[in-house]
Amino acid sequence: MTDDKDVLRDVWFGRIPTCFTLYQDEITEREAEPYYLLLPRISYLTLVTDKVKKHFQKVMRQEEVSEIWFEYEGTPLKWHYPIGLLFDLHASNTALPWSITVHFKKVVELLFFLKHFHCNLFLVSRVREWLLHFSNFPEKDLLHCHSKDVIEAHFMACIKEADALKHKSQVINEMQKKDHKQLWMGLQNDKFEQFWAINRKLMEYPAEDNGFRYIPFRIYQATTERPFIQKLFRPIASGGQLHTLGDLLKDVCPSAITPEGLHVQRSSKEEALVSPCITPPAVLCSTVFQKARLELI
Amino acid sequence: MAGEEGFFLEEKRFKQYCEDFVKHSQQIGDGWEWRTSKDLGDGYLSKTHFQVRNRHIPPDLKKKNSDNLEQILFARVEEPLDDSQAAGVCSAEEVVRYEYHVLYSSSYQVPVLYFRACCLDGRPLTLDEIWGSVHASYQARLQEGPWDTITQQEHPILGQPFFVLHPCRTKEFISAVLSGSQEHHRHTNYIILWLSTVGPVVGLNLPLSYAKLAPEQSTNADLAERALS
Repeated sequence: MTDDKDVLRDVWFGRIPTCFTLYQDEITEREAEPYYLLLPRISYLTLVTDKVKKHFQKVMRQEEVSEIWFEYEGTPLKWHYPIGLLFDLHASNTALPWSITVHFKKVVELLFFLKHFHCNLFLVSRVREWLLHFSNFPEKDLLHCHSKDVIEAHFMACIKEADALKHKSQVINEMQKKDHKQLWMGLQNDKFEQFWAINRKLMEYPAEDNGFRYIPFRIYQATTERPFIQKLFRPIASGGQLHTLGDLLKDVCPSAITPEGLHVQRSSKEEALVSPCITPPAVLCSTVFQKARLELI
Repeated sequence: MAGEEGFFLEEKRFKQYCEDFVKHSQQIGDGWEWRTSKDLGDGYLSKTHFQVRNRHIPPDLKKKNSDNLEQILFARVEEPLDDSQAAGVCSAEEVVRYEYHVLYSSSYQVPVLYFRACCLDGRPLTLDEIWGSVHASYQARLQEGPWDTITQQEHPILGQPFFVLHPCRTKEFISAVLSGSQEHHRHTNYIILWLSTVGPVVGLNLPLSYAKLAPEQSTNADLAERALS
């Protein structure tokens, strides 16, 4: 896998130029300039947008600030998906920079109303209580993200599930808590070497095994209610030969294969025609997708 | 951890146990139903019920997650409306609508309990409120690692936010109950055993009559298994 270090680095350091704009109905005292940022493909929106928050908080009053969430052309963006996945899923065919709308503001008008309108104490307190939760946060679409702990828990849960598939959880469970922490800190602080010092153990398998137990993969589709397809898939066929990406897709999502072969987009600029008959998903797993999980659009 | 091997459940067996489970639920009017997904044919158990609960947060958890807790639950407005304003809102009793789903995890090869909860006005409960409502007997375990136990996740079939009881922790809860090999529990409906163990953690209790699901009623699973082998 050291041969593929260049590819691992390319994936890790992939960036998407993004323009953040405050939702126009959220009236502020001063107008807020859009904020530009290069987003890491492998990270999560709520992990890398502290500067965006600070920028827009400057034009808002403290009591108006509520949980931030992001939207692209009317679609709430799931912060728990990697940024690159969100971009490929929703905006890969559009021109850069990626334009994201920021939602940040509590519904203030009614709070103001309550402050100055006297009515039954019990009723008021119930309504006030209700309102303090109400921030037009799309509860049916997005997970809450009140702290970095939430992101860390989600990230580690993904790593653990991938290892359950690859190694029956043996490798991840044998690691110490500090190793788990190092994976997370590597992601949070954008430290490639720090991350891979631990992740390489999750990408190895005993020589006699010839591969992982199952390939950790998910196939995302923007058009379905079901968020992704995930099934058990072995890297080695019963005859001993390596399965390829084409085999995986034929088995799991046959409609994705066209007669010309499979078009794999790694970014809006890089397109590679990958022959489904040649590339084993396990190889793709270890070289292209560094987060111990293969994610295909 | 040899004993853990016995806790794995194969998907076909899962479906069969769920079928037997729903049959019994229908007999006693317990409200469970099986829902099949339209696209891939997989499915899940589903039940909705209402609970009255006292809202409060145990002090320890409050310390760990004080960021939003103060804001959300102890609702202090900058300028009080009235001097006589009471903080009684926080411990008011209220009716909560719980929706429980049982899905199969192919990654962990176990059933997984998903749930969501909201007040009658539609306000969903927060993670802190959910942690706070975990049964007192399990609070100590929860506080050892709340982020490993119950978190919000995307429902794998519906794509909506649900709370999940983590499967890794499930094995800990269930190992206290299941001693002995899988052979010994061959005729037991795994879903009933598992749900009666983990359900109470999050407010879901199974009526005792499920224990009556006799071995002869669960032989469908054995027949299916023999047919497959």
